[in-house]
Amino acid sequence: MIGVHDAGVVAVEPPRQKSAATRGRAQSPLWRIGGTLDVRWRIGLGALGVLGVVLAWQAAATSIASPSVLPTPAATVAALGALWSDGTLAEATVASTQRIAIGFSISVAVAVVVGVAIGTFVSVEGFFEAQIAFLRYIPASALTPVFLLWFGIGESPKIWLIVAGTVFFNILMMADVARSVPKELINAAYTLGAGRLTVLRRVVLRHAAPGLIDAARVNLAAAWLMLVVAELLAAQSGLAFEIIRAQRFRAVDDMFGLLLVFGVIGLASDLSLRWLRNRSAPWLRA
Amino acid sequence: MSGVATSAPPATAKLVVTGVSKTFSSRRGTVDALRDVDLHVEDGELVCLLGASGCGKSTLLSIIGGLEAASSGTVLVEGEAVVGPGSDRGMVFQGYSLFPWLTVAENVAFGLEVAGWDRARRAAKVEDLLAIMSLTTFADALPRELSGGMRQRVAIARALAPEPDILLLDEPFGALDAQTRRHLQDFLLTVWRRTRCTILMVTHDVEEAVYLSNRVYVMAPSPGHVAEIVDVPFGPDRGPLVKRDRRFLDLRDELGDLLG
Repeated sequence: MIGVHDAGVVAVEPPRQKSAATRGRAQSPLWRIGGTLDVRWRIGLGALGVLGVVLAWQAAATSIASPSVLPTPAATVAALGALWSDGTLAEATVASTQRIAIGFSISVAVAVVVGVAIGTFVSVEGFFEAQIAFLRYIPASALTPVFLLWFGIGESPKIWLIVAGTVFFNILMMADVARSVPKELINAAYTLGAGRLTVLRRVVLRHAAPGLIDAARVNLAAAWLMLVVAELLAAQSGLAFEIIRAQRFRAVDDMFGLLLVFGVIGLASDLSLRWLRNRSAPWLRA
Repeated sequence: MSGVATSAPPATAKLVVTGVSKTFSSRRGTVDALRDVDLHVEDGELVCLLGASGCGKSTLLSIIGGLEAASSGTVLVEGEAVVGPGSDRGMVFQGYSLFPWLTVAENVAFGLEVAGWDRARRAAKVEDLLAIMSLTTFADALPRELSGGMRQRVAIARALAPEPDILLLDEPFGALDAQTRRHLQDFLLTVWRRTRCTILMVTHDVEEAVYLSNRVYVMAPSPGHVAEIVDVPFGPDRGPLVKRDRRFLDLRDELGDLLG
């Protein structure tokens, strides 16, 4: 009996007991391409991933390597506690974070002005295009000796290295962000009587804000890279400096503890910039 | 022909376009987008530019809006030459032109803020326009919370706020479904009646052109030019009933034939 299914009519033939015919491929909830994940699954899988890494670390430290090469997670945390209680950790973290804050702020400030100008005005783009295309290929770390020569061994060479190592990426990415402001919005503002400055401030910068924050978020990683380069060469304080010092005492547990600190700071800054980005873009929120 | 208008503009015309041509040059050579276009819109008129895609009608509207420069020819609004965009020629685009970070009321107020209206006057004007557009309850909504038809109503309100001499509409209902489009056409007629504004509208929809306008400029491509000027015999208080009128149907068929 196919096709006739009136309400109240009981099917004469019982449904087939064995495998009923089906159409299409059943979708697996976890392996579906481009699928969505339940919150509980997301948290569970994340915890599983972290646990896996810690267990693998523990296994490697206890079975394969000796404690003088690879400390256990517990030993690392203990070392970190010791660094905290004698004040080294706080001092090093403040020193490094301060360099990043000053250097990366200068970089972002320059890049917002220059990048947005490049992305907005073809004349500025024409003026800067060749220079930046050239300068961006000079590895900033190669400038370290030059900066040491120019600025001595104080704070300024480290800060300028961070600026040099990030400003070109920031400029290029931010120029793209400014370029992608929809033409319709700019035209709408013009036909509502807005002048160039108003369009720049109230449309271009406003629309670009979340993208600019995102560009800074991505390039912040490069700032930390430059910081380490600077501190490895010439510094009396800082997280990378402490790693070098720990190496002299063969204190691998200290070294690993300090590496963890980098990760935690990076994660915290990433999360706060994401939050700021979402705050600045009410129209993108899902 | 039910009514072929003369092309000589009367002295009272709000907008006069004379001999406008536009040539785009690219690496492959030059393309004539518009050649020697004349048109005019009188005070309080609703005029349509009708044509298939590629006939240059949107380019012409951009030139009148001051967003693009003509290669030759002049555009005069109340006798003054257009050299760039301004709020005297409010524009409504096909879509996606509302500021997504501003609420409906803030979008409508944008042009007033730019023009330096004080807060109280601004609020009164916005309230007034939102009432005309039946958007009062959505004053604090963000554009993304609105349907396509409501967004276009906000865009029209925003363009009307600085009290433009002429409203330029670039296929404003082109992205909407048929039912919403009919609804907004009636809506535009209401706004036109109530505000007595002057409107120039670009469309590719023959019925829309006949239903809304006093006069239709039929444009043809390669290069874009005015092929025919047709007067529409219905007044501003027309309504959906006019669509059953013999003259309406004849005009619609006639213009449809002209478009090919």
